[in-house]
Amino acid sequence: MERVKAAGRENGRTEGGLRIGIDVGGTFTDLVAIDGIGPLRRCKVFSTPEDPSRAVLAGLEQLLGATDTDAGTSTDDGGTQAAGKISGLRAGASIVHGSTIATNAVLERKGARTALVATRGFRDLLTLGRQDRPDLFDFESRRPEPLASEELSFEVSGRVDHAGVELEPLDEGDLPGLIGRLRSAAAESVAVCLLFSFARPGHEASVGRALREAGFHVSLSSEVLPEFREYERASTTALNAYVGPILDRYLGHLEERLPSGTLRIMLSNGGSAGVEAARREAVRSILSGPAAGVVGALRVARAAGNERILSFDMGGTSTDVALLDGGVPFTSEGEIAGLPVRVPMVDIHTVGAGGGSIARVDAGGALRVGPESAGAAPGPVCYGRGGKQPAVTDANVVLGRLPPDRFLAGALALDADAALAALAELGREAGLETRGLKEADLARRAALGVVRVANARMERALREISAERGRDPEDFTLVSFGGAGGLHACDLARALGIRRVLVPPSASVLSAFGMLAADVLKDYVQTVMQPGDAALAKVEAVAAGLEERGRSEVAADGIGSDRISLRRELDVRYEGQAFEVAVPLSPDFVGLFHAEHERLYGHSDPAAPVQVVNVRVRAIGRVEPPPLEEQAEGAEGKAPVELDRRPVVLGQRPGSEATLDVREAPVLEHGALRPGNRLAGPAIVVSTDTTLYLGPSDRARVDGYRNLLIEVGTEP
Amino acid sequence: MSERSPNGRVDPVRLEVYRHLFASIAEEMGAVLQRSAFSPNIKERRDYSCAVFDARAEMAALAAHIPVHLGAMPLSVAGCLESLELEPGDVAILNDPYRGGSHLPDITLVAPVFAEEGELLGFVANRAHHADVGGATPGSMGLASELSEEGVVIPPRKLVRGGKLDVEVRDLLLDAVRTPEERAGDLRAQLASVRRGVRRLRGMSRRYGRQEVGRYMLELIDYTERVARRFIASLPDGEYRFEDALDDDGVSEGPVPIVVALRIRGEEAEVDFTGTSSQRPSSVNAPYAVAVSATYYVFRALLGEDVPSNGGILRPIRVVAPEGSVVNPRPPAAVAAGNVETSQRITDVLLGALARAVPGRVPAASQGTMNNVTVGGWDPARKRPYAYYETIAGGAGASCRSDGASATHTHMTNTLNTPVEALEYAYPLHVLRYEVRYGSGGAGRHRGGDGVRRDIRVTGAARACILSDRRRLFPYGLDGGDGGSVGRNVLIRDGEERELPGKICLDLEPGDVLSIRTPGGGGFGAA
Repeated sequence: MERVKAAGRENGRTEGGLRIGIDVGGTFTDLVAIDGIGPLRRCKVFSTPEDPSRAVLAGLEQLLGATDTDAGTSTDDGGTQAAGKISGLRAGASIVHGSTIATNAVLERKGARTALVATRGFRDLLTLGRQDRPDLFDFESRRPEPLASEELSFEVSGRVDHAGVELEPLDEGDLPGLIGRLRSAAAESVAVCLLFSFARPGHEASVGRALREAGFHVSLSSEVLPEFREYERASTTALNAYVGPILDRYLGHLEERLPSGTLRIMLSNGGSAGVEAARREAVRSILSGPAAGVVGALRVARAAGNERILSFDMGGTSTDVALLDGGVPFTSEGEIAGLPVRVPMVDIHTVGAGGGSIARVDAGGALRVGPESAGAAPGPVCYGRGGKQPAVTDANVVLGRLPPDRFLAGALALDADAALAALAELGREAGLETRGLKEADLARRAALGVVRVANARMERALREISAERGRDPEDFTLVSFGGAGGLHACDLARALGIRRVLVPPSASVLSAFGMLAADVLKDYVQTVMQPGDAALAKVEAVAAGLEERGRSEVAADGIGSDRISLRRELDVRYEGQAFEVAVPLSPDFVGLFHAEHERLYGHSDPAAPVQVVNVRVRAIGRVEPPPLEEQAEGAEGKAPVELDRRPVVLGQRPGSEATLDVREAPVLEHGALRPGNRLAGPAIVVSTDTTLYLGPSDRARVDGYRNLLIEVGTEP
Repeated sequence: MSERSPNGRVDPVRLEVYRHLFASIAEEMGAVLQRSAFSPNIKERRDYSCAVFDARAEMAALAAHIPVHLGAMPLSVAGCLESLELEPGDVAILNDPYRGGSHLPDITLVAPVFAEEGELLGFVANRAHHADVGGATPGSMGLASELSEEGVVIPPRKLVRGGKLDVEVRDLLLDAVRTPEERAGDLRAQLASVRRGVRRLRGMSRRYGRQEVGRYMLELIDYTERVARRFIASLPDGEYRFEDALDDDGVSEGPVPIVVALRIRGEEAEVDFTGTSSQRPSSVNAPYAVAVSATYYVFRALLGEDVPSNGGILRPIRVVAPEGSVVNPRPPAAVAAGNVETSQRITDVLLGALARAVPGRVPAASQGTMNNVTVGGWDPARKRPYAYYETIAGGAGASCRSDGASATHTHMTNTLNTPVEALEYAYPLHVLRYEVRYGSGGAGRHRGGDGVRRDIRVTGAARACILSDRRRLFPYGLDGGDGGSVGRNVLIRDGEERELPGKICLDLEPGDVLSIRTPGGGGFGAA
């Protein structure tokens, strides 16, 4: 018997009908769609990195053309370039697009030719950074090149002090000369960052007006991030200038093919924005894909009754982890490619280890995994695309945990023999060979080692994020998604003392799904730097101004006023401290601050003077999350259908390292599992592009949402 | 379980797994310390380190942000064990540079870790730079002639006995400093951090077995030693000498020579500082721990493999520092500048000697100073005294492959700057310029990195101290590359520039501008 959650029925069609989430990844572009109350449709096409919009439009055509509930996987890369609008999309439909355009422009340094305009004496702001070097032990270590080079850095007169008092006026007579120099330097986009502009934005506004009239794409720091600490503000503003024109062109291209008003852009804060807002503040769309994954993970975990989760998204070259204690975590200390980004982002920690991480034996005889990666090309040895060094994926193939004939739904047959030969060679280098040992067992021994080492790296990362946030991983549920995560999730949980793992059925399209669940989120900040005892009236006035702006900007995104809510926070610190603690803005914010400081750091000093650094406002336009179909759990004990059985290497037998513990394990398909099904490890559960490995003591149950809920056992 | 792989060699997998496990303990201790520390110096400039030691007090893992702590951490634990009998629940404290410390602001805590059965598993320790430990100068970074003038000296003492805080010992510190609440907050953070380390190491022993955990601490040190020996064996045997000098000691004229003879014999090395200047009546003296840290840093950076930072690196290296010299002074010599300035020159001579052994592997000299600036005075807005302390980046030396980085901290430090806007909020000071000193890097096939100019104006009367070097003797180039430009300290009063010495404390008048121009790095190869 199937039933649908009431909430979905009530709010379904009134929400405007068809909603689509599109996540562009390195290999695949994933699309999910829901029309009213469902069901969820999905579609997967190969990405087209040279022009990502081709895959997006092809996927849309395929998704809208398909009538069945699962459009399946297309290996056709990109669609026709026929002009005109995509058919089948009505006005009122909503598409949330997680674009990698901005991210890739930064990573590949293919952004607009960007100039910086700074206060006289400070044009090297971006070069100076925070004066540190990224690697302590590398003599040649250096910070990334600034986005605006020396010949593209300029100064203007005028000086404002910390209280917003003008010490020296801006000489507007200098501006025509500046425009001339910007033109000779062939600048396309200009970032303007003047000292203390957040306290008195007039000078920046004047410069901005003149430059916009002259035809430049302009980003003002007082608009992008009116927050103190000039380097971080300038870096964020320069990133905005650098990616703005690129995103603008890309969106223009997409909009030609879509009904107006349908397209929305995913942001790195886990929310979405309309196209115009996204264009203005392009920096906010950087790293939005992983943010959507975290939003999606929270949505499925919450439905299954879990609020405290560690999200674990293991891909080919890296792994993203995040700690969610009741909600999506944010940081305003993000960075991309070594450049600080101070707009609020979902707080995600990235580890340089994934399925493609290469294993080797180092000079001291230790088995190392990563950070070098085989990537997608040539890829691991088993891809048969020229990879020679064994990667984590090869180890999983050798251990029988990744069935070679079911990878990407069989679209890519893996070469298990080649993986075995490569791991055997690694085993010889590592000195794992013993007399009489078969080649296959040598390879398996090495493969077990590779998996153990990869898990140790990820355990370290998860422990670090937990400690930094003052949490113990044991209290959390591990939510695993991403191509390679399921092969490691249970072992990793075991190492961390985590007792439960959740694997959603939509694991591979969780980011696209998260986009459907993304609210409209607008973040505003204003540095005020007020003594705490006299601040309330001032900060309330500032907050009211920001709220006003937030309300109207969210409304402009098409959200009804009954769905808009506002949250005000203050960043507060003890005078003399260099870091701030966020507390809600309320008449007793000083008391709240002392209490929060005590809770976070174990001490507080109610007699010490406090300082309000920033006022923060978040405007939330609530979007009804996509309904999740819940089905009643069937009769217990009903055995799921096995695709086949295959030998799996569990580990080395306790007490006898030389003997491998190999057992037959069933292979099951996640899509064929029914609520109420129960599985006992060892077992392998495959879906289109993820594989789950259950160890011998792990027990799983399929819940009403077809999530696999795993009780992690103690035996590896 | 057997500890060896089937063929009798050390298990390459466990080696790597334990490396991550021990590193994770040190990192977690660091995360706890940083989260809960009060002062900007620890929180934002990351001036701290955490380490795990085996039962013989040899360092097994270290999470360091500041190279000058590298060799000093093991000496702290050794210093504690010489004078204290550490029992379960104890935590020792020290900062005495002559008994395991390095300079007074660096306060170290050491705790023993016992397994449930009562056997000693090892030690955990952390070290953090406190913003003020008393003494004659705010910030405790002046030009004293004796240690006692630099602040409170804490020999190894038990701060916690059997789990109970000894308030008298704590107040030794708190009673002597200008900002006791801040010190108390930072000390609490250090305590929370060692407690976490103790808990994690005990937990590990419970889970994997005391013997295995102990064995793998040793295995990891052996492993790093193997890599270090392999590296040293790759250097041609012989003796390589290099000499450089500090401009002066700050109280008298004339350079302070630092001399090293690096002797490579097979897979072992001797680093011999014989011939180095005798100790000076100012704070340029570097305790033995600093010479060890510089040696450790240089070899660690050259290994090429990302090995765990542990005692293994130093096993094949003997550091000879004559007692009574500026690299191994006798008490009660002052040491504040030894840590921050002399440490850089020790690094320069070591690299210079290595450049003779393996030309092309070593970069030209970097700025060779930290440009320490302290400004203190009266803050009329807050009606209280203020003290601002900062170190300023400069040029890095070029290598045979690339230009040196500009405006960066090099070698023995890596602390962040204070943002101009943060500084102007906090102190009655204005920054008038903060820019790259273009052209200050040495010319060459690869150019040295450029230094920095930072101009600070005081609005009221103030007292300033500058501890800097490379104002007379420039950073060397290599392989025909030019040296970097020397730095300059300039006082601008009523629009007139007046040259200041490299090390000086002086009174400033309202409106005076202190203009610090830092050295460039040396170039590599003839242009």
